[in-house]
Amino acid sequence: MSIVTDLVAASAALRDPVSLSDENYDRQLRDHTAYIRQLISKRDLGSIARDQELLNHFDPSDDSITYLLLLRLQIHTLQETSGGVLPTELLPFGRLWSQSAHYLEVFDRVQVRYIGHEWVQLIESMVLAAQATSKPLLAARLIKDALLRLDPSCAVLTSTHLLLAQLCLAARAYTCALPVLNKHICHIPALPSRASSNSLSIRCAEHESSQSFINETTGLASKLSYRDYLRYFLYGGMIYMALKEWRKASHFLGIVISMPTMGSVSMIMVEAYKKWILVGLLDKGKLCSPPSITAPQVIKTFQSLAKPYISFAQAFERGDMKRLEAEVDAARDIWHLDNNTGLVWQVVNAYSTHSLIKAKKVFAALTVAELQSHTSPSPMDVNGAVKANLASLVVSNAIEAKLAQPQLYSKDTMLRFADVSSLPEASRETKVQAQFEGERQLLEALFGGVEENSNGLGLSEEFIDTIVKGQQAWPSATVMNPSLGRDAGLEMDEDIMGDLS
Amino acid sequence: MELPPPSIDQLSKLAASNLPPSQLFEILSRYETDARLLLAGNDDPQLLSLFYSTFFFVHLLTEQVPEARALSQRLPEALRHQDPYLQSCLTLLRAIWQNRHDQIYQILRNLPWSEGLQPLVQRYESFFQDQSLIAVSTSYEALRLPTAATYLGLDSTAAEQGDPAVIKKFTDCGWKWDAEAKLLYPTPIVLQSIDERPLNGIHDAMKLLGNRRN
Repeated sequence: MSIVTDLVAASAALRDPVSLSDENYDRQLRDHTAYIRQLISKRDLGSIARDQELLNHFDPSDDSITYLLLLRLQIHTLQETSGGVLPTELLPFGRLWSQSAHYLEVFDRVQVRYIGHEWVQLIESMVLAAQATSKPLLAARLIKDALLRLDPSCAVLTSTHLLLAQLCLAARAYTCALPVLNKHICHIPALPSRASSNSLSIRCAEHESSQSFINETTGLASKLSYRDYLRYFLYGGMIYMALKEWRKASHFLGIVISMPTMGSVSMIMVEAYKKWILVGLLDKGKLCSPPSITAPQVIKTFQSLAKPYISFAQAFERGDMKRLEAEVDAARDIWHLDNNTGLVWQVVNAYSTHSLIKAKKVFAALTVAELQSHTSPSPMDVNGAVKANLASLVVSNAIEAKLAQPQLYSKDTMLRFADVSSLPEASRETKVQAQFEGERQLLEALFGGVEENSNGLGLSEEFIDTIVKGQQAWPSATVMNPSLGRDAGLEMDEDIMGDLS
Repeated sequence: MELPPPSIDQLSKLAASNLPPSQLFEILSRYETDARLLLAGNDDPQLLSLFYSTFFFVHLLTEQVPEARALSQRLPEALRHQDPYLQSCLTLLRAIWQNRHDQIYQILRNLPWSEGLQPLVQRYESFFQDQSLIAVSTSYEALRLPTAATYLGLDSTAAEQGDPAVIKKFTDCGWKWDAEAKLLYPTPIVLQSIDERPLNGIHDAMKLLGNRRN
């Protein structure tokens, strides 16, 4: 019997999982994976490793394990013989690229839990090929779909998430990243001690959390570095910035700048802080305080390294257009060096919008001429331009207000600021409903993760050390009170995150 | 689902179809990374031009203006500078970015658009008119007829003269016309959500909170 016939027969045996219990199917998948790995490693594979027809014998969706292992074998063989250069067949639209792309569109999401390393390697080789030909978009779409196929919740942060964010930024295909970025990250890849317990779990079973199969043991996730973690949220923030979703950008950048540190502050955090100041001005029109969990010494470091940004934000806040322009000019080189010039100009352009929003705190209504005297950034403004700009802001819903034109052209248009109660009832309801829906999704994602994280923290070495220390100090305080234990575990964020560095 | 091979005929069919914009966006997103389009496009700039201009309008119909701008930045360099239809797209994008209603209608009506794209241009014009009507209805307490006409791209001379046909466009939407003051009083148009999920969402959120307390 030829090796191909062997492989076809072995793969066919996996096609009817319905009749098997989870335990039996799990055993069968593990045995099958081991068998194919052994078969591939032992035989002389010179001919089949280069056989262009080989993969046509298998269905990438039904035979996901066999297909990927053979695909990887062919890629590996080609790479070995190409002397470090990316083989043409692997470059976009080459034979192996097309087969890999098709595989990522249709793979079986259960079977790949047994060949996680190879799945990640396939993704990485496609990223390399796309980057080598300056076509990052080709890999970005594939990776986004593959990530969602593997785990629709995308709740475990992996290196693949980071690659996706990087590719989407490089390709300027920002919305492509949104289906993944919009998901809430509830887990970082499990620490080795927890991962080892996962090796015994039944990977093919239904799991409440994808952390059960996306971990170091399955190979679908590797331990992320502190830098990787920071970069994912920085890139995510930048993607939201490109789409002008300032609130979400601020949230992502806030995660970066409030990351616990051990000693020095990462330059990625400083970079994020600078962008975070500008995004805060665009979103709220003020210099926002860093999240309350940011360590005071970290804030001091940020402030000393981002002085021009703080002066710029203060000028914006004070409504001093002349100083604002002077700050822009004075630090032109810094904006350029930090790649923030575009963002700084967006802030300058948003000045009039935020001046109007500030006027709302003082006035209930005023004419365009009165408004001009309070908010106009420059005496060069002619009445017509202010009017047009104002109407455009109101109609585009940038400010909540209403305009009333008088009968006579000689009289001035009146601007009346709207509060929530003046909106039509249906409009208020729609807004509240949208907020509720957002909160519901957030709660659903968080509660799914809270239980598991809480249990995980309760089982962690750090928690046990704390309990032991606690027992030594206060022998009877927490031993019998599990709720106290849970709280103590939740307060240990810093140690846990410190482990990532 | 396998997409038919991209061709001028296929793209024109999509542009003329009544498919929801979100579905068109999904199909065109897949074409953007389709080998058949990219390889055929090397020999046929007309195909690429129609693809990108169609995709551009679908971005507008799905209200993704920043992403439409990103699309304009990832156009093949030669096409961006030479293709007249893509030049028109960029001019339109600038007007939309600046909320210049008057210019938007002029661009849609007067600049050159390829034949295959015409149905989408018209679809977007009527979409933009509807969006503007809704926005104006909630942004103005009272406004003069010529101002209202500008937002909808109606004949400004007729509006200045108080043409009853122009007035009717607004009164048909429930707006009031004060003939003496020559002012329109809009009735706010609020689109009702047909999605029942938010209401269930409140129930689900409360259930989650309840479970948590237990």
